[in-house]
Amino acid sequence: MTVEIGHLALVLAFALAVVQATVPMLGARLGDARLMAMAAPTAMAGFALVTLSFCSLVAAYVTSDFSVANVWQNSHSLKPMLYKVTGTWGNHEGSMLLWVLILVLFGALVAMFSSNLPATLRANVIAVQGWIGAAFLLFILATSNPFVRLDPAPIEGRDLNPILQDIGLAVHPPLLYLGYVGFSISFSFAVAALIEGRIDAAWARWVRPWVLAAWVFLTGGIAMGSYWAYYELGWGGFWFWDPVENASFMPWLAGTALLHSALVMERRSALKIWTVLLAVLTFSLSLLGTFLVRSGVLTSVHAFATDPARGVFILIILGIFIGGALTLFALRASELKAGGIFQPISREGALVLNNLFLSTATATVLIGTLYPLVIEALTGDKISVGAPFFNLTFGLLMVPLLVIVPFGPLLAWKRGDLSAVSQRLFAALGIGLAIALVSLVFIDRVSVFAALGCGLAAWLIAGSVTDLAFKSGYPKVGAAVAIRRLMGLPGAAFGTVFAHAGLGVTLLGLVSVTALEVEKFVTMKPGETLDVAGLVLNFDGMMPLRGANFVEDQARFSIAGADGKSLGEIVSAKRVYTARRMPTTEAGIRTFGFSQLYVSVGDPTEDGGIVVRVWWKPNVTLIWLGAVVMMVGGVFSLADRRLRIGAPAARRRQSERPA
Amino acid sequence: MIVFWIVAALMTAAACLAVILPFLRPQASLETGHDVEVYRDQLAEIDRDLARRAISPAEADEAKAEIGRRILRAAENRPGGTERADSSLTRIAATLAILLVPVLGLGGYLYLGSPAIPDQALAARLDANPSTNSVEELIARAERHLVENPQDGRGWDVLAPIYLRVGRAEDAVIAFRNTISLNGPNAAREAGLGDALFQLAGNVVTAESREAFERALGLDGANPKARFFLALALAQQGDTESAAGRWRALFDDLPQDSPWRGTIVQALERVHGAPAPQPGSGPSAEEIEAAADMTQEDRAAMIEGMVAQLAERMRDNPDDVAGWQRLIRSYSVLGRADDARAALQSGVEGLGAESSAAQELIGFAAGLGIALPESR
Repeated sequence: MTVEIGHLALVLAFALAVVQATVPMLGARLGDARLMAMAAPTAMAGFALVTLSFCSLVAAYVTSDFSVANVWQNSHSLKPMLYKVTGTWGNHEGSMLLWVLILVLFGALVAMFSSNLPATLRANVIAVQGWIGAAFLLFILATSNPFVRLDPAPIEGRDLNPILQDIGLAVHPPLLYLGYVGFSISFSFAVAALIEGRIDAAWARWVRPWVLAAWVFLTGGIAMGSYWAYYELGWGGFWFWDPVENASFMPWLAGTALLHSALVMERRSALKIWTVLLAVLTFSLSLLGTFLVRSGVLTSVHAFATDPARGVFILIILGIFIGGALTLFALRASELKAGGIFQPISREGALVLNNLFLSTATATVLIGTLYPLVIEALTGDKISVGAPFFNLTFGLLMVPLLVIVPFGPLLAWKRGDLSAVSQRLFAALGIGLAIALVSLVFIDRVSVFAALGCGLAAWLIAGSVTDLAFKSGYPKVGAAVAIRRLMGLPGAAFGTVFAHAGLGVTLLGLVSVTALEVEKFVTMKPGETLDVAGLVLNFDGMMPLRGANFVEDQARFSIAGADGKSLGEIVSAKRVYTARRMPTTEAGIRTFGFSQLYVSVGDPTEDGGIVVRVWWKPNVTLIWLGAVVMMVGGVFSLADRRLRIGAPAARRRQSERPA
Repeated sequence: MIVFWIVAALMTAAACLAVILPFLRPQASLETGHDVEVYRDQLAEIDRDLARRAISPAEADEAKAEIGRRILRAAENRPGGTERADSSLTRIAATLAILLVPVLGLGGYLYLGSPAIPDQALAARLDANPSTNSVEELIARAERHLVENPQDGRGWDVLAPIYLRVGRAEDAVIAFRNTISLNGPNAAREAGLGDALFQLAGNVVTAESREAFERALGLDGANPKARFFLALALAQQGDTESAAGRWRALFDDLPQDSPWRGTIVQALERVHGAPAPQPGSGPSAEEIEAAADMTQEDRAAMIEGMVAQLAERMRDNPDDVAGWQRLIRSYSVLGRADDARAALQSGVEGLGAESSAAQELIGFAAGLGIALPESR
């Protein structure tokens, strides 16, 4: 009965979404308070119904109810409980249901906390949210229904793709979807503003926290996905410029731009039109990502099933929402009033520059992702736009952006003083150059690229700290006063510092790994040793083991320092999942400081040895730790719920009002 | 079922309630001028910041001036009084919305859902009375037991041959290996392992499979399964003569009621070029077993009798292609080529000379080297 209740709840949620999408909008048009008031209760009830539906699907997975086709295709009764639960969204149908669950969750949150919004804006926002919900609920019910039943029910399921049987599946998709779908809020706000033809202070005050929250989740989701690929796929890469990765990266870049332009809009009422366009584009890129991943256009671990009907359906949704929003934008954008004016050298100017770089970078990634698909569709030729293209174009765009990052927060609103800011950044510049020099001389004499990269990373981190120091008035007041003031600084100030410093940390990790990685590719017999980056790896032998739903051959290695001191053990394994007869490689990873030793075993050789790939990855964890630091920055900024005015500082007097 | 529909009705009612809710509450007034409210909050915030000495009085004045300018701008933009809604349009919209939920919700569910199928949690299915379980469910039940008690040798011993019978060769290999390691080897287990490996390799006696049969034979020199498959190994290597010899020897050693005798007859037929008899259409197992006990002449007589019987039957059912094929093949195996040709002719006539079945029969006969007496 629970399965069928879940199914009914899903259909009812669709019916409610249709009401939510139409009636409040009509109410806003007619100025009827009661019709507009329908928005919030339908959104909340819709959320309750989808939650019920999702829970009933989880229950079917937990109890291995193979009369549900989706469970039969993607679960196995012997699978560990965690993977039974996470397997719910480890497939096309279930992941779409999770997508919609998060969508209606955001819709309900808006409904719950928006009582101080103008009534018509509130009704329109929730109605647009209802449109998206209705479209995707219809998509699920029509092409991807997870509640299709089997009668008679099979006795055993086909198991989940072994690559997905990992804790990563519990974290990566929900985080990523919170990010993707979180941008639907700013989209709904933008479309509602375009429908109303006006944008007021409440708009910006409302949109920024949602963008920030979505950005924090998306940052976490991408970083988690990257780390998962790094340890699960067994060949030590963390970013492949794979179209599916790009699909998540593009909304992140556009969302980062949106975050900064919303800042300008909130403080200075400037960049209104541009912010609205970015809000539309960011969610459009999220939808495009969903289309690329779910339509079967791309082959990857994310494309669970390829069904042309689904692709066409999502393409139609994509066309209606992106096309509709952009048409609305073209019709209405000119009616929006442009806001405050500013000089090129100012905080606003720096943020505009940031937006230019980020949107160009987004466009670059978009071209690199879509170009091969278009070529294949037109000519049938398969071409690959790989890392070299992205490193050259995207990398070139990022370097100047990263160089100017520390300037932004130090510039004043409306009119800034570049030379004063440059003076303040002297120390940071010195640190950056010193680090570059040190890494060139002492660590790697060959690679100028690595030295400059390390220098740039140090410049970013030192620049962020400089910002914090000046905001607490450090050189002028004494250290004691500065520390007291530092404590009193608002969350947003820390948010900026952490986000920008996190960028530097990630960059440091990227540069270290790219330039200084050591890779060994050898055949080892039990008892043989291998020297890697000052460590001695001793192959102890193979050991067969049996897991709940797999068998594996573990290769065990003991690690010793150069002085012979034992540093523990590292285990890599060849695994075969019995239900699908699918082999996987489980990499062995040991962390030393920020660096990692990564061991991945290959096939056995005829003379009793085994192929072993070993990497020494210096500072590799900084890549993801940097993302965590960025997320912390986002959370700080989110926790800061002050009202922001952004009044300009008078000339010849430095503002102490924190940014 | 009843419970489900009650719950369904309650859920639908709750969903409708969400739509009606605004009409059950006193009407809220339409508020405008939220901008001004936000700015008023901002002014209060500046006062608080000033009190905390987070900003200087001069900065506070400047910020207040900025907000003041924005308030003026917002006041200018404030729309005039909102129109009163057309109440009949409101009623129509609300009625449609309230109707839409049960119609679309329940209607959609009735179209998509399967209310008659109950939940079938695996644990509950396996806990049900064993007599209601299917073979698959019984196997699953045994597997579950063995996952919890992997050292239960008896369980593996029982399960292994069942796996083999339902064609799960791979699981059978594991189960036989487990029972051998837990209960120790015996001829039946080793032979079973050999059979499972044979099936796993796509019905080929691999080296691994042969070793298992040889071990079985070492434990029990008379084990019929091992003897049969070791002969088959020879046949698969191309040595059909030795294979046939061994099968005949095995045939003679076996008791009359042994099920292996039928298998051997089929195997012999196969190595001599003739396809094995179709189940249910050829001689019955008893007949084959009876044939096995006879002398050469008796056996020949019995076969002749069966062929005559078949010829008789074909006269009554001339449109049975498979029957004609069997008859032609029998004559051909017996070396009676003329009779085979005659049977072909009768068959073609019986099936209708131009029919596709007749063409099929001619093609089949051609494969045996039998052609129609005169060219058409």
